[in-house]
Amino acid sequence: MTLLAVRDLSKHFSVGGGLFGAGGTVKAVDGVSFSVDAGETLALVGESGCGKTTIAKLVLMLERPTSGAVEFDGRDLATMSRREVRGYRRRLQAVFQDPYASLNPRLRVRTIVAEPILAHERPDRATVDRRVAEVLDVVGLPASAAHLFPHEFSGGQRQRIAIARALAVNPRCIVLDEPISALDVSIRAQILNLLADIQERFGIAYLIIAHDLALVEHFSARVGVMYLGNLVETGPTEEIFARPRHPYTQALLASVPRPDPDHRPSVDAIRGEIASALNPPAGCKFHPRCPRAVAACSVDAPSWRRVGRDHRAACGLLEDE
Amino acid sequence: MTMPSAAAATSTAPRPLLRVENLQTHLVLKRGVLKAVDGVTLHVDEGETLGLVGESGSGKSMTSLSILRLLPKHSGRIVGGGVWLDGTDLTTLSEEDMARDWRGRRVSMVSQDPMTSLNPVFTIGDQVGAPFRYHGLVKGVRAAREAAARVLARVRIPSPEKRLDNYPHQFSGGMRQRVVAAMAIACSPRLLIADEPTSNLDVTIQVQMIELFRRLQRESGLGIVLITHDLGVAASICNRVAVMYAGRIVETADVRTLYRAPLHPYTQALLHAIPHLGRKRRRLHAIPGQPPSLIDPPVGCRFAPRCGRRSSACDAAYPPEVEAAPGHKVACWHPGPGSAP
Repeated sequence: MTLLAVRDLSKHFSVGGGLFGAGGTVKAVDGVSFSVDAGETLALVGESGCGKTTIAKLVLMLERPTSGAVEFDGRDLATMSRREVRGYRRRLQAVFQDPYASLNPRLRVRTIVAEPILAHERPDRATVDRRVAEVLDVVGLPASAAHLFPHEFSGGQRQRIAIARALAVNPRCIVLDEPISALDVSIRAQILNLLADIQERFGIAYLIIAHDLALVEHFSARVGVMYLGNLVETGPTEEIFARPRHPYTQALLASVPRPDPDHRPSVDAIRGEIASALNPPAGCKFHPRCPRAVAACSVDAPSWRRVGRDHRAACGLLEDE
Repeated sequence: MTMPSAAAATSTAPRPLLRVENLQTHLVLKRGVLKAVDGVTLHVDEGETLGLVGESGSGKSMTSLSILRLLPKHSGRIVGGGVWLDGTDLTTLSEEDMARDWRGRRVSMVSQDPMTSLNPVFTIGDQVGAPFRYHGLVKGVRAAREAAARVLARVRIPSPEKRLDNYPHQFSGGMRQRVVAAMAIACSPRLLIADEPTSNLDVTIQVQMIELFRRLQRESGLGIVLITHDLGVAASICNRVAVMYAGRIVETADVRTLYRAPLHPYTQALLHAIPHLGRKRRRLHAIPGQPPSLIDPPVGCRFAPRCGRRSSACDAAYPPEVEAAPGHKVACWHPGPGSAP
């Protein structure tokens, strides 16, 4: 059942003018559609500047879309009443990349974790304490942690606190924005396993924003690959990693350095650097870097092709299967 | 001093370039003395890349700053051991000698963040030309600009002459890191220390940087110490890898042996803890707990509290380093093969 859906979503920022004269519109997100089922994990992957974090902000209502809609339980956020928006904010929580920046250093852990609860209801003290102890236990921290400050914890423990805060109000979906990339290698597995346990136990859906493809393959059921504000390929993780069809997805997978001395990342799968979002290439935005580009690629924006079961790619060189 | 060609470096026996012996570096902090590097011994041959792999706080960056004598001025101190580059102990040199003849000249560094390595108010031409002028390799502004353009061409910056008057913000992240690399190799150093040189870059740019380092090495016989937490990057660029944990090297081996047949439980645990592309597992093997404090490290093996093979011997004394096979050193009381990751 679809829990969160994004329909033809766009976010344009107007920039510049003024002193440097280079005004224009950055199409950070440009007509993106996807959906996340209840209890499922969807990963958005792509390089910096592809728009994945802007999508997270739009979903979290930290930005308003230029056009298109975000729907939760079939309701468009734009048409919700204030009361309904509060309910939405409760059911959708977030865990951010850097637990050193996302936790207020002046607040004790109890206050941090209780904050979302108090934003939505006015329970008595004992109820709050019980709930805080409960979620700290879920994330593997002792109840005594509630009385300490964030600086008394390591990076991995801080991320546990951030997860506890997200869980405090029983969300149905959590947006995970690079949840482990600020953590040490030996700690990452702890947090990933914890997130997997939480999903299994509470049936929470995850929308994960990540650049680490090995992490995505391990963690997520479905993947959307983004390039310069567009989705270019979506499908089940196993399909995409076993049979990537879009040349950009293929290039990303070929570029990843692997912990295998006999594997050489390929330099030829992609050329140059990501184009400016201010002045993106015409036609397929990937064509200047694409090793397979033909003349038509620079003219026509590619339409979606079905390349497998629930597997789609936006490339003019592919045929429907 | 003559530069050996890459061909000479590969056809004859490898010539030692850097030797670090029992290096001990302390950081004097308010809460105590942190033994950041506690007896590190390693070596790098000409034309070789040694990976120094470890988590934050393991001492890998402090090792590199000790080699360059760039420790925090008031708190950092080398308290023991030595760093020999081409037979000269860098730890005994005066700061003047170090700055004039060594740092930037024979040993240089590329650090993680290309934005903070470049000064935003000077042009690329000024900054890349600076090492040539500082070390007296060219005379005059014009010659420095020409030298800068040549070295920018070596790191494959397109139309380098035209970009000399650009400022850092006019370059993309990947191009900035190339500029930083150009500054580092400007004076044809013997040794390059690269501290997480690709960590802030996107994967498609990362692969280009990895290729750049490999090419620079082939061309000049440069020795590289690559500091990274990324086992994938280390595998794709290093000849040998040393794994650091809590201020000490726990295992060193050639790259194939280290990834295929590691003997130290920490190396094995690290390889198990990361997701491997194309080998999906239901759960990752997390390493329980955290590294110990280096202000008051345990007397025994520092990994013991997190280790599955812990015995009473592990807590009683730090394990001596043994050579399990030629070139494969491990410091563990119970070394042995683990299960495949």
